[in-house]
This record gives sequence, structure tokens and C-alpha cells, in this order.
Amino acid sequence: MTLLTTILGLLAAATEGPVGGGFWMPRQASTAADVVDSIFFFILWISVFFFVLIVALMVLFVIKYRRREGHESAKTATHNTALELTWTIIPLILVIIIFYVGLRGYVGMIQEPRNAYEVWVTGQRWSWTFEHDNGAVQTNVLTVPAGRPVKLKMTSTDVIHSFYIPDFRKKQDVVPGRYTYLWFEAPEPGQYQLFCAEYCGTQHSQMAGIIEVTAADEFDDVIAQKANWIDEYADEDLPRAGLRLYPRCQSCHTLDGSPLQGPSFRETHRLWGQKRIFADGSETVVDENYVRNSILNPGAQIVMNYPNVMPTFQGQLKEREIRALIEFIRKLDEVVDEQGGPRE
Amino acid sequence: MSTLTPEHPDLRTNYLTHSRGVLSWMFTLDHKRIGVMYLVSVLASFLLGGILALLVRTELIAPGETIMGQDAYNRTFTMHGAVMIFLVIIPSIPAALGNFILPIMLGAKDVAFPRLNLTSYWLWVIGAIFAVMSMVVGGVDTGWTFYAPYSTEAARVGVVYVTVGAFILGFSSIFTGLNFIVTIHRLRPPGMTWFRMPLFLWSLYATSIIQILATPVLGITLLLLIVERVFRVGIFDPALGGDPVLYQHFFWFYSHPAVYIMILPAMGIISELVSIHSHKHIFGYRFIAYSSIAIALFGFLVWGHHMFTSGQSALMNAIFSAITFSVSIPSAIKVFNWLATMYRGSISLNTPMLYALAFIFIFTIGGLTGMFLGTLATDIHLHDTYFVVAHFHYVMMGSALIAMIGGLHHWWPKITGKMYSESLGRLAWALVFVGFNVTFFTQFMLGSQGMPRRYHDYSDTIGNWLPEKTQLFHTYHFISSIGSYVMALGFFLILFYLLHSIFRGRRAPANPWGGRSLEWQCTSPPPHNNFDAPPAVGDCYDFSVLEWDEQEGGYKWREDAPHPGGQDS
Repeated sequence: MTLLTTILGLLAAATEGPVGGGFWMPRQASTAADVVDSIFFFILWISVFFFVLIVALMVLFVIKYRRREGHESAKTATHNTALELTWTIIPLILVIIIFYVGLRGYVGMIQEPRNAYEVWVTGQRWSWTFEHDNGAVQTNVLTVPAGRPVKLKMTSTDVIHSFYIPDFRKKQDVVPGRYTYLWFEAPEPGQYQLFCAEYCGTQHSQMAGIIEVTAADEFDDVIAQKANWIDEYADEDLPRAGLRLYPRCQSCHTLDGSPLQGPSFRETHRLWGQKRIFADGSETVVDENYVRNSILNPGAQIVMNYPNVMPTFQGQLKEREIRALIEFIRKLDEVVDEQGGPRE
Repeated sequence: MSTLTPEHPDLRTNYLTHSRGVLSWMFTLDHKRIGVMYLVSVLASFLLGGILALLVRTELIAPGETIMGQDAYNRTFTMHGAVMIFLVIIPSIPAALGNFILPIMLGAKDVAFPRLNLTSYWLWVIGAIFAVMSMVVGGVDTGWTFYAPYSTEAARVGVVYVTVGAFILGFSSIFTGLNFIVTIHRLRPPGMTWFRMPLFLWSLYATSIIQILATPVLGITLLLLIVERVFRVGIFDPALGGDPVLYQHFFWFYSHPAVYIMILPAMGIISELVSIHSHKHIFGYRFIAYSSIAIALFGFLVWGHHMFTSGQSALMNAIFSAITFSVSIPSAIKVFNWLATMYRGSISLNTPMLYALAFIFIFTIGGLTGMFLGTLATDIHLHDTYFVVAHFHYVMMGSALIAMIGGLHHWWPKITGKMYSESLGRLAWALVFVGFNVTFFTQFMLGSQGMPRRYHDYSDTIGNWLPEKTQLFHTYHFISSIGSYVMALGFFLILFYLLHSIFRGRRAPANPWGGRSLEWQCTSPPPHNNFDAPPAVGDCYDFSVLEWDEQEGGYKWREDAPHPGGQDS
């Protein structure tokens, strides 16, 4: 096994690019990346060898045995059992080795780490929600400690998504109705791209995120601050806090009046204090209660001409956060302009 | 076998002139006419699927919205995949070329069940109408794989149309497979034992086994999808107690063997092209024949390799990975056998042979890159990225389709009675070969660098996209799109000179290439009933009995070579 590891190491070293990523692979930002890349390059070299062999023979034969005057095809043997067994058995041995190496690497990648920092992940069309044990909730950006295993417990509230961090070489489908798990350990602080890698509808390519790996000694403070961020906002500043929460609503509700899956918050803002009509014919006044109900029990009152697709945020928002969203919509014009850009 | 003297009645009429009028084609029982109708339909579908592909590549040539928005893009790539897979690649070789050639290669008058054959064609047409109708009712945007629960709860109603279309197309496929199996079993001529059959027939036989065993599973799966969508039963929808991953198992149980439906006949064609155009006996006949059956059987056992990240257990992943590697070996055997066939041959570099060489080059890359995907550790990184897209285009398009085009050129003289322009053939080949590799080799790097598939956009103006990723992806996407335009040029050139040959091409001799399988022993085009009586056969790869006839512009039987009279020729 040490011989194999040595060969793998040499091959990997021969083809590795600079630390920021090479020709084939992006930078190695997790402890798993090295293993995956070594295996990739191992297979690559075997592939290159056989490709060159086959194409070289093919080109050689085409040139050497091209049809021309005085050169008839030779009446060679039409089969040769020894030769055929040889080129059956050698590839068979090679693929068995490749399979085995791949399996070993895979088992290392999925083995549950001890002492992992755990995060609950929810995928929904088209954003990622991350919930930390201390109550911090993040949208699309996940802050984690460097140099420590991180374990993600993931589910979807609608269709199948997939959690993919290329720089970590990790991917796992996120499936509705169950939890799936992914772990990684990133030694270096930095920002690493997160993609959704299972087609999930219109905005599939927009469902990107960032894994923000933070130095271990700073992480505790950073994450505590994220958990309690809303406490820093005084009551009169709650509309701005609402704007900070807005990314979680963004994929379905605009701020400029244009409708998406859900009505624009600007429309709701304009109707404040007036009646709004729902699909079942009932109506209610747009006020604090209406917004609260829409967040916690969205299916109860669907605005006319909109689909019943909003997920509930019950249990996902603190009381003060709900209040911030209400104030955000109520005072929308003070916080953002007509196009939805923030006012200073 | 009848010798073709100028007085021979077959030279006065052929299957094309035998009867006239649209109805004589629409209700024909002649396998050759059915094959031609399939050919026209499949090539028209290829044009549609190709235009959709060019739209996809044009959108991706630059970040940001280039020619269409997200929704339109999602519908475009979905239809590109569905049209190419169900309407083009799966039927193309068996139904278009196979229908024409198989009975003639067997010296038979027709397939075992000519009416079933006609039914197969019209089922194809009805299925195609449904599939294309989905584009009119708002489109489908699920991807050709129709994964639940997106397809059952969120996607547009076009899903029902295209799945009904695929369901009907499945029957076309099953009936063709059934027909071929019975024909090969029952209608072989005297002297043609199993191991005297041309290898193209072995490949069609293995393909037919897959068609009849696997396609029903797709049919049921799509039916369940429609039932789930319409009646909300709870098979795949977790909100109703169902399991979304179950859909993937059902779907891939068919769709993996389906790729062998695509590649096995292609490999059969390559065996014919390489041996005939090298004027040399195929090497390793038995190994090639057995490998076709092995691929057909093993192909049923590996579907889980499409699901390594689906939440499937590690044990299942390991088993599927192991069996997946076993399928690679028979394919490797074929490639070595083809090279050994070329060794010390006398190789004519005409257009069909060029496509066979392109196949070997491209299929080697396609097959080898399958190893990266079958290996668990690397597949976690590569799954659902452009690496997969590159791999399957290398094997489906660069191999199966290229073989079909090669076969089309090889049998074109037989089917139409005309020769196409060889120089245009080579030029188009070069455009297609270079264009193909530029388009798709770049996508391997695109994938290994992390670009996911089915993405409308890769711009860093999208929230949370890192500029370094956008820049890298843009470079590769740009090159890839340019390649696709070069390739498209090649295909349009092929369309042009093939059509041109029908009207202006030189008349084709019975045997332009020097083949010995039975289709080369009747006229080009063949007469209505192929042969008056089933001819006796010898070794169809022993080309020493043929010689070039300058006057005819083709090959004919040597004066001094014995004609096969029985089993021991």
C-alpha cells in the first residue's frame, strides 16, 4: 500500500497547479481535496496512457497500411486467444485497482467525524438557510470555523437540491422528506463557492452561496454576534433590520412592484391599511396581523392570482425578527427606493 | 444468390420505383421503405435537437442573459435532451439503418413481422407528435430525466405531454426489438450459423434484448409519474408519504440500459466499417460477439452509478461502482479488436472509414472518462457537473451518432443508389470531428473546475457568485460554443451533399466498398423483394473473393473464387 501511495503522491505532484487551483481542479480547500485529486490524477494518467497507445496505433496503422498499389491486406490470424485474454485481463486488473482506490477514498470522505460543529441546512427554491445551534440563522452564507470538522444536516422543503462545494470536493443531494449529511474540514479561512447541483427549476443557477471559513479563535465571537444581531437594532431602526432579513424572501418577493411567485412587498406596502382580496374571495385589511399570518401560516390567505407555494417560517424567525419584517414592509419607502435599492 | 447481368429484371425496378404515391409509402410493408421513413424522421428530429443545442450554446457563450431568460433556457435544454435521446439516438441505428439492412444481411425478404414494423414506425410518429406538442403548450423544464418531486408537483403541464410521448415511443422501441429477435432467430439463410452472422446483426440482437426488457420499466415509470401528478397518490412525493429517490431508481433502471441501446448498434457498425474498409477479416469475431451480449446483460446491473450522491447507502454505492467497472472491459476488448483488424490491412480512407476512426478516437476518451465517474471518490466531485455532460456527449454523440453517420455514408449507395461527393464528405467530417472535440473536451475541464450542469447563467452579478469562477467558466464556455458552430457547419454540409447526391450523384454500383455481407450482393438500390431465393453464405469477412472492377466502379466476385454452396465454405 505504501508503494501505491507513493506513486499516487508522485503523480499528483507532477500535475498539481499552484495552490490557487490547477488546470483540472480548483484549489484544495478541504482535507478531502488532496485524496480526491490524487485519485483523479491517478485515473488521468492511466487514461492518458491508453488513449495515447490506442490513437498512436490507429494513426500508425492508417499511415503504414493505407491502401495503395502493390499492398494487399495480409492474411493474418483472425483471432489469437492469448492476445485477447491479455488485453482483457490487464485492463480488468487496472479497473479493479481503480475501483478499490476510489472506494477507500470515498469511505474516508463519508466517515462521520468526531467533535464536529453541526449546522442544520434547509434548501428551498432558491436559497439556502443555515441554522446554528446558538440560534444564529444565515441565508446563503454559511460561517464555519477553520480547522475543525463541520457536519451539515440537510433537508429540502420542496424539490431535490444538491449541496456542492467544488473547492472542498464535496457534494450531497438535499432531499425533501429526509435528512442527508455532508461533512468537511477546511484548514484555511476564506470564502468558498457553494452551488446547487441538482436542477430545481427556474432559478437553479442563482442558488449559489458562500462558505465563509473563519479562523477558529474568532469563530465563537462571530457566530454569537450573528445569533443576536437583531438585538443591536433599536426599535426605530427595525425597518433596516427587516432589510437585512429580506434576502430570505427575495427569490419570491420583489421590492420594486414586479410580481414573482409572490406579490411584491411594494404592493403590500401600498395597500397598508386597505383591504386586500384573496383567491377564495375573502378579504382582510393589510396590517401587522396580516403580515404576521402571511409569514407563519402562508397557506391560509393566498392573494388572488398567486400560487400557494410559500413555505412557512414558523420556528425560523424570532419574535423581534418578525416585527422587523412587519416594520420593513410598513415603512418600505423609507428604507428602499422605487427600484428596491437601499436608501442611505 | 442471383448474378446481376444487364438483363436481370431487378435492374429495371427497385424498392423505390416499385410503386408510387404517398399512400404506398404510408402503408408500406417493405422494411426498406419503413427504414427510409425512419431515416427521414430521425434526421429531421436531429435537426430540431441540433437547433435547440445551438440555442443552448449561444446562451452560454457569455455570462448574463445572452439570448434568453432562465425559464426559456430550462425549457430549451430539456427539449434538446428529450428530442435527442428519445427521437434520435435510441431509434436511429436500429430503426433507420437496422430496418433497412438487417433483413437484407440475412438474405430475407423482410422482417418476421412486417405489419408490426409499420406499426412501430407510426407509434414513433405519434410519440414524436406528443413530445413536440409539449413545446406548444408551454414547454417542459424538468430536464430529460423528469426527476420527482419537481416533475410531479412544480413543473409545467408540458411534462404530461412529453412523458406520454416517451411512453408511446417506448412501444415503438419494444416492437422493433421483438421483430429483430424473431427475424434473427428464424430467418437466417442456409449456412449462416450464429457465428457466421455479420457482427452488426449481433449488435442489433443484443440491443433488441435490452429494448424489450428495459423499455417497459420506463413505460411504467412515466405512467406512475403521470398518475402521481394527476391523482396525487404519494408514490414519489414525500409530502404524501412517497420517496423521491424511488423515482430515480425506476428511471435509471431503464435509462442506463438505454445508453447501451444507443452504443451497441453503433459498435456493430464500426465492426463492419473497420473490417470492410481495411479490406481485412475482422479480428476476434467471437470475443466481439460475446462482448455485445455481456454489455447488454451487465448494463442492467449498474443503474445506481447515476445516484452516488442521491442519499443511497454507501454499500449500494460500492456495489454499483464495482459492477460499473466490469462493463468497461467488453468495450475495451472491442477497441483492441478493431485495431488488430486494421493491422496489416489495406486501409481505404474514405468517408465511412474516417467516421470509424473518429469513433475509435472519441469513444476511447468517452469510455475512459467514464472511469472517473464510476470511481466513488471522484464522482462525488464530478457528479452533476459539466464533466458528466462532456462524458455523455462523447459517448452518445461523438460515438453513437458518429457511427450512425458513418453507417449512413457506408450504406447510402445501397439505400439511394447514388454516390455522394467524397471530397465534401471528408471536408464535412473534418468540421464535425474538430468541432465536436473543441465543443466537448473543454467541458471536461469546465466540470472538474466545478461548473454545475443545467445552469442558465454563470455571471458574478448573480448574488454569491465568486468572480474567479465566472472568469474561468466564461473562457471554457466561449471556446465550447465556437466549437459547436464549427460542428453545426459540418452537419449542414452533410445535409447538403447527401441531398445533392440524390438528385445529381453518380449511380452507385452494387458493391462500392468491397463488402461481403449479403446486402452487397444485390443491386443498389435493392429490388423490392431483396432476393429471389435466400442465398447461401460463407464467411462474410473473407474479402479475398472480391476484386475491384474498374468498369463498374465497384467490387465484384472474382472469377476464380468459389461461391458458397453450403456449410463448409
